[in-house]
Amino acid sequence: MTTALTLTTGQDQDGAPVLVAAGEIDMSNAERFTAALSEAITDRREPLVVDLTAVEYLDSAGLAALFHHADRIEVVTGPLLSPLLAVSGLADLTTVRTR
Amino acid sequence: MNDVFAADAEVGRDLAAVDWESTPVGSPEGWPQSLRTAVSILLSSRFSMWMAWGPELTFFCNDAYRRDTLGGKYPWALGRPAREVWAEIWNDIGPRIHNVLDTGHATWDEDLLLFLERSGYPEETYHTFSYSPLRDDDGALVGMLCVVSEETDRVIAERRMATLRDLGSDPSVIRTEQETLAFAGRQLERNRRDLPFTVTCLYDEDGQAQVRAVTGIPADHPDLPDLSGFAGGEARVVTLDGPGLPTGAWPDPPREAMVVPLLRQGDAPYGFLVAALNRYRPVDESYRGFIELAAGHVAAGIAGARSYQAQQRRAEELAELDRAKTTFFSNISHEFRTPLTLIMGPLDELRTRFTGGDPQIMDELEVIHRNGLRLGKLVNALLDFSRLEAGRMRARYEPVDLSATTAELASVFRSAVERAGLAFEVNCPPLPEPVLIDRGMWEKVVLNLLSNALKFTFDGSVRVAVHAEDGAAVVTIADTGVGIASEEMPRLFERFHRIDNARSRSNEGSGIGLALVKELVGLHHGTVDAESSPNKGTVFTVRLPFGSAHLPADAVVAPGAPAAIPSSAEPFLQEANRWLPGDDVPDTPAGTQVAGDAADVLVADDNADMRDYLIRLLRSAGHRVTAVGDGRQALDAIRAGAPDLVVSDVMMPGMTGLELVSALRSDTRTAGVPVLLLSARAGEEASIEGLEAGADDYLFKPFTAAELLARVRANVELARLRNHHARWRTALVDSLQEAFFVCDEDGSIVEINAAFTEMIGFGPEGLPYAPVHPWWPDPAADGEAYAEVAAAFEQLMHHQHGDYTIPVRHRDGHHLWVAASFNHVRDPDSGRRVIVGTFRDVTDEHYAIQRETALASLSLRLSEAENLGDAVAGALDELRQLWQATYVLAAVFDGATPPALSATDPNLSWADVPQDRLLALKDRPLLTPVTERTAGAGITLEHPRGTMVVWVELGQRRPFTEQDQTLLALLAGHLGQALSRVHQIDEQRETALALQRAILGPAQLPAGFAVRYEPATRPLKVGGDWYDTIPLPDGRIGIVVGDCVGHGLQAATVMGQLRSACRAVLLQDSSPARALAALDRFAALLPGASCATVFCGVLDPANGHLRYSAAGHPPPIVTHADGTTQLLDQGRSRPIAIRPEEQRQEATYDMPPRSTLLLYTDGLVERRRQPLTEGIDQAVAAVQLGRRTPIEDLATEVMERLAPAGGYDDDVALLLYRQPGPLELEFPAESSRLAPVRTALRGWLERCGIDPVTAQNVLVAAGEACANAIEHGHRDRDRAGGSIKLRAAATAEALHLIIADNGRWRVPRPGENPHRGRGIMLMRAFMGEVTITTGAAGTIIDMQTRIAS
Repeated sequence: MTTALTLTTGQDQDGAPVLVAAGEIDMSNAERFTAALSEAITDRREPLVVDLTAVEYLDSAGLAALFHHADRIEVVTGPLLSPLLAVSGLADLTTVRTR
Repeated sequence: MNDVFAADAEVGRDLAAVDWESTPVGSPEGWPQSLRTAVSILLSSRFSMWMAWGPELTFFCNDAYRRDTLGGKYPWALGRPAREVWAEIWNDIGPRIHNVLDTGHATWDEDLLLFLERSGYPEETYHTFSYSPLRDDDGALVGMLCVVSEETDRVIAERRMATLRDLGSDPSVIRTEQETLAFAGRQLERNRRDLPFTVTCLYDEDGQAQVRAVTGIPADHPDLPDLSGFAGGEARVVTLDGPGLPTGAWPDPPREAMVVPLLRQGDAPYGFLVAALNRYRPVDESYRGFIELAAGHVAAGIAGARSYQAQQRRAEELAELDRAKTTFFSNISHEFRTPLTLIMGPLDELRTRFTGGDPQIMDELEVIHRNGLRLGKLVNALLDFSRLEAGRMRARYEPVDLSATTAELASVFRSAVERAGLAFEVNCPPLPEPVLIDRGMWEKVVLNLLSNALKFTFDGSVRVAVHAEDGAAVVTIADTGVGIASEEMPRLFERFHRIDNARSRSNEGSGIGLALVKELVGLHHGTVDAESSPNKGTVFTVRLPFGSAHLPADAVVAPGAPAAIPSSAEPFLQEANRWLPGDDVPDTPAGTQVAGDAADVLVADDNADMRDYLIRLLRSAGHRVTAVGDGRQALDAIRAGAPDLVVSDVMMPGMTGLELVSALRSDTRTAGVPVLLLSARAGEEASIEGLEAGADDYLFKPFTAAELLARVRANVELARLRNHHARWRTALVDSLQEAFFVCDEDGSIVEINAAFTEMIGFGPEGLPYAPVHPWWPDPAADGEAYAEVAAAFEQLMHHQHGDYTIPVRHRDGHHLWVAASFNHVRDPDSGRRVIVGTFRDVTDEHYAIQRETALASLSLRLSEAENLGDAVAGALDELRQLWQATYVLAAVFDGATPPALSATDPNLSWADVPQDRLLALKDRPLLTPVTERTAGAGITLEHPRGTMVVWVELGQRRPFTEQDQTLLALLAGHLGQALSRVHQIDEQRETALALQRAILGPAQLPAGFAVRYEPATRPLKVGGDWYDTIPLPDGRIGIVVGDCVGHGLQAATVMGQLRSACRAVLLQDSSPARALAALDRFAALLPGASCATVFCGVLDPANGHLRYSAAGHPPPIVTHADGTTQLLDQGRSRPIAIRPEEQRQEATYDMPPRSTLLLYTDGLVERRRQPLTEGIDQAVAAVQLGRRTPIEDLATEVMERLAPAGGYDDDVALLLYRQPGPLELEFPAESSRLAPVRTALRGWLERCGIDPVTAQNVLVAAGEACANAIEHGHRDRDRAGGSIKLRAAATAEALHLIIADNGRWRVPRPGENPHRGRGIMLMRAFMGEVTITTGAAGTIIDMQTRIAS
C-alpha cells in the first residue's frame, strides 16, 4: 500500500502543461511522482508547471525528483511546503510560486 | 538402609531398626533437613557424641559414644527418651539440657562427676562435654548435641597419684613409728573417694595384730571386720557388711575392703592395711595397684622409723668403742706418721744433693732411707695386727737359715744401737737344720724385739743370740735396760698395754709391738717369753720348733723357691718394694676382698707410677678399672658412662681434681657420681677444701692399700645406697601419668619420664634436649604455632611458676596440644636453679573448644546473612580464616553447566578449580569429609538449589587432620541447615515484597505519568498513602491519590482495600463523585478507613478533559506552558466515610496543551509549625520551575526539592501527568507505514498545541528520520523483524523526538543517492538539535526543537 497521491496532467489557460499533485509524497510513492513528472515534461520550450498546492507532505525522495528536472519545471505551492522548498534550495534553481 | 544412617554401617543399622513411628520423631522419611543433618554429623564423627531431638528428647548416639559411655545400654537406648536413657544422672544433666533448649546457649562442663549405670552398677565417671543447641528448619530450638570425652581414667589416676605423692613427700622430718603412721593417716584421709576408710594394724612382739591407725572410721567401730587372724603375705579383698559403716566421700557405705600386708624386706610383714573400697569403681588392676603402693609407702615409713630407732641404739653402743679407737688412732697418726715424714722428707733432699758425692755418705743415706722405708712398713704392722686379730692373716712357711736371717735383720739395727752408745753383740752360729718361718713375720718379730731393747736400754749392751735346744731354735734378744717391774710382767704381751712411767728413750709407742710379736710367733707354733729384773735388763726368748709337723701342710713352701705370691697380692708386693728392702715379702690380703663388691672405678692421676699402682691395687680387689691422665679426660669418660666411683689425684695438669669435682657436681647427670680424692697435701684445711668442692671422701698420701680399698668399698656402697634412692625416685617419676620434665637454666631438658616419651615420642636417649627443642612446631610450615611456643618458652624461663598450653609436634610428626605447668626449684644437690614441669595432653579439649569457637563464629556470620549468597560467602570466608586456606570455594550443582561457583577469591573461575575433585565429591555421601593428603579437603552438603561441594584449598602442603575433618563435617552440617533456613526466609521476604507491591499500585503506568512513593515506616515498602491509575474501557484514565489515617502496616492494609475498592467502583461508574460516595459506604464498614482523604479524577488523555472530585484531599496543582498555575480546588468536600449519606460534588477542568498536573498527599507539603498553604506554594513553585523538565525527571526533582532536612517523616505519594502524554509508536521498517505514522504524529502535535508551520517542519524532520530507518531495515532483510520505534514527548517549551531502528547506519554517499544526504540536511534545518548515534544494535536519531509558547 502506498501513500495516497493523485496526479493529474493538463494544461493551464496559457496552454502550458501542468502536473497537479494532491496528497502526500514520500518514499513509498516517490517513484510514481517521478514517472509522472518525466512523462509530463515535453520537448516544448515552456516549462512544466508542477502544482503542489494540494500536497500536504513532501519528503526528500519527492524533492529529488523535482531537483532532477529543476531546469524544466516551475513549481506552484502553498504556504505549507514553501519553507521546505526554500530550505532545500530548490527555490534557487527553479521558479517557485507561492499562492 | 535409609540414607540418613549411611555414615556408619553398624550404628546406622541399629538406628534404622528402631521403630521410629512410635516415637515423637516419626518415620525418618518425614524428618526435617536439620534432623537429617544432625544425624549425619553424629554418625560420621569419630568423636564421642550423642544428641536429643524433639519433645521427648529422643536419644541418638554414634559408635564412639556407644563404645566409651553407653556400654550395656546399647542398642536399647536408641530412639528412647533421653530422660529414660540417662535416668540415673538426669538430675545432673536434665537442667543443663533444658537450659540449652531454653536459651539457645551452649554449655561447657569439665570433668563433671556422673554416676553411670552402664556396667550394671552405678559407676563413678567423669566427663568433659558440651551441649550445643540444635534447631529445626524453622530455626526453633528442638534438641541438643553433646560432644563428650570421658576423663574418668585421668581424673582418678590424678587423684591416686596425688595421694601417693603426698605419702612420699618429705619423710625426713618423721622420727617415730607413731609419727609416721599419723603422717600417712593424714594423707590417706585426704582421698576419701578411693579410701572411704582405712585401718592400719601392726603385729606386736607376740605376733598379735593391733590397730595402730585409722582414717575415716573410729578405731572401735563395731562393724569392723575381724582381722586379728590375718597374717598372710598376699593382699586380698574381703566383704564388708555393716550398714553403719562410714561412707567416706560417698552416699553409701563401702561393700568391700582390701587387706594388704605391710611388707618388710626379707622378713615377716610389719602388719597390714585395711582399705575400704569405693563401691562406685571396679576393683581392677589399677585400683589394687594403687592400694598396694599406698601400703608400700606406709611400710616404707615404718621401716624408716624402725631403722632409725635401731641406728640410734647402735650409735650409742658404737660411741663407746669409738672412743677407744679414737685414742688408738690418734696415737698412730702421731707416733708413726710424724717421724716418718720427718725422716723421709729431709732424706730425699740429702740423697738428691749427694748424688755422685762421697760414696760412704751415699751408703749411709741409703741405710737411713732403707730404714725409713722399713719404718713405714711398721705402720702396716698395726694393720697386720688387726688382721691377725680377725684371724685373717695367713702365713707362708719356708725353710730358712734362721741364724743368717736373724743376723741380717740384727745388722739393720747395728748402727742405731752403736750410735746409742751400746754394745751390740750378735752371736748367731749356724743351726743344725733350717727352720720353717714366714720371712715377713719373722722380720717383724725380730725388729720389734730389737727396737724394744734399744728403746729401754741406756747403757750396756744389746745382745742377739741363736742356738738350738730341745728340737727348737731359740733366739734370745737381751738388753741391759731399765727392766720391767714384776707386777707388770703378766700384762707384758697384752695389746695396747704400755708400762707407765718406765724410763725410755722415747715416749713413743703404740703398745702393740709385743702383742704382735706374740701373735706372730704363735702362728709359728712357737713361744715367746720374757725375763726381766728392774734396772738389770730384760731377756726375750723365742722358741721355734724345727720340722714341719706342727704347721699346716698347704702353708709350707719349698725351700729356695720364690715366694708364691698370688697375683692379687701383686700391688702389695709393689708397695713393699717401693718402701721396704727388696727381700721383703708383703702380706697378701687378697682374701679380704669380696667379689660382690666389684665396682667400676675410674682412676685419674698424672703420675704413671701412681696410676699403675692404683690400677693393680684395685684390680686385685676385683674392681673393673679404667684410668686416665688428667681431669679433662676424666670428665669426658664420666660423661660417656658414669662409673661407680672416681679415684682422682688432686694435683693434675689441665684440670685439677678439685676442678673435676666441681664440674661433675654442676652437671645434673654426673652430680651423683662419688669421688674419692687422693692428695699429698695432708692437713685439715686441704681436706675441707676437697669436701667443700663436693668430694665424697679424701685420702692423704701415703696411704695403705687396705685403707684405700676400704675407702673405695665404703664409698661404692654408699653410692649404691644413694642410687637406690635415685632409682626409687626415677620409678616414682616414671609412674606419673603426666609427662614430667626437668629443665636446666639454659632451657635444656635434662630429664624426662616414660609418660613424656609416650606423649611426645622423644626418649631419654636423646637427653639433654637443648632449645630449640625438637618437638617445637616447624617455623617454616607453621610460623604462628612456632611463635606461640617461643613465647611460652620465655615464660618458662623467666617466671617462677605458671601454666600454658602449646602445640607440639610428636616425633612421628603428628600434632598435639599440651597443657604445661612448671615451677622453678633449687636442686638440693647442686644448688642450681632448675625448672620442673609436667605436660598434659589436652588435644581433645583443645579441639572441642576450637569446634565451639568455630561454630559460634560461623553462626554469627550466618545470622548476618540476608540471602543464600551472603550465607555461602560468609561461611566460605569463615572456613578460609579458620584453616588459613589459600582459598575456599563452593560449587552448587544446580543443573547448569558449569555449576554455580562462589569462592573467597573473586577472580577464581570454573577453569581454575580442581574440577575432577569437585565432580568426584558431588557423588559422595553428604557431610562426609574427603581429604587429599596435603592439598586440601572437601565436603558435600545440601544447598536449596542442588548439591553443594565445598573445597578448602590449603596450598602449602599442610596436613588436614582427623580433627580438622570432624570440624569440617560439623561446620558443613551447620551451614547446610543455615542455608535451608536462609532460603526459607528469602522466599518469605520475596513473597512479602510481592504482596506489598500488589497493594501499592499498578505495575505499569499509562504514558505521560510519573509517580513517586515514600513509605514512612521501614522496612515496609507500603504505607497509608496510595496512588492509582485505572485505564477505563472508553480510553479515559482514572487517577486516584489517597491517604489513610496513620502509617505503617495497619494503615497499609486499610489502604490496600480502599485502593482496590476505588478501582472497582471507577471501572463500574466513571463518575468521580459517585465513586467517592461508593467509597464512603465501603469505608464505613472498614475499621480504620474512616477519615481517609482521596482525590479521584477521570482524565481523557485525548483532549485533557478532567472530571474530578476530592474528599478532604489537598488540591492538585496545574502549571500551564506559560508558567501560570492553578489549583484544582473545586468539587471539594469532607473526607471519606464522614456523613456518607450526603452527596458529593464534581468539577471539570480542561488541561491546556503542555500543562503539568501534580497530585500528591499531604506528606509532601505538610510541615510542623508551618501552614499547609506554605507547603502547597512550595509545591506550586517546584512544578512551575520544572515545567520544561521531562516528567520522570520532574518527579525526582519535586521529591528532592520538597524533602525536609531529615527526610520525609510521613508517607508520601506523588503523581505527575503532562498533557498530552508522549507518543510512542513501533512499526515495521516499511515505507508504506510512513503515512499512518505521520497521521498519528500530526494528531499528537495538534494536541500539543503546536502551530501548523512548526508542525510541518517537525513532520518533515521525523519523516526523513523514519525514511532513513526504513532504508537501514531494507538493507538487512535477513535480519529478523526490522522495526522502528518513534517516541515524541513535550515539555512546556520543547519537543523531543527519538527515532530508533535496529538496522545498520549508512554513511551518507551523496553521489550514489543524493536525496538521502538532503534528508539529513532537512532534519538539521527543521529541528534545533539533531544527534545521530550509530551502534551495533542500530541507529538512534535524537531531535529536539523549541516551541514558542
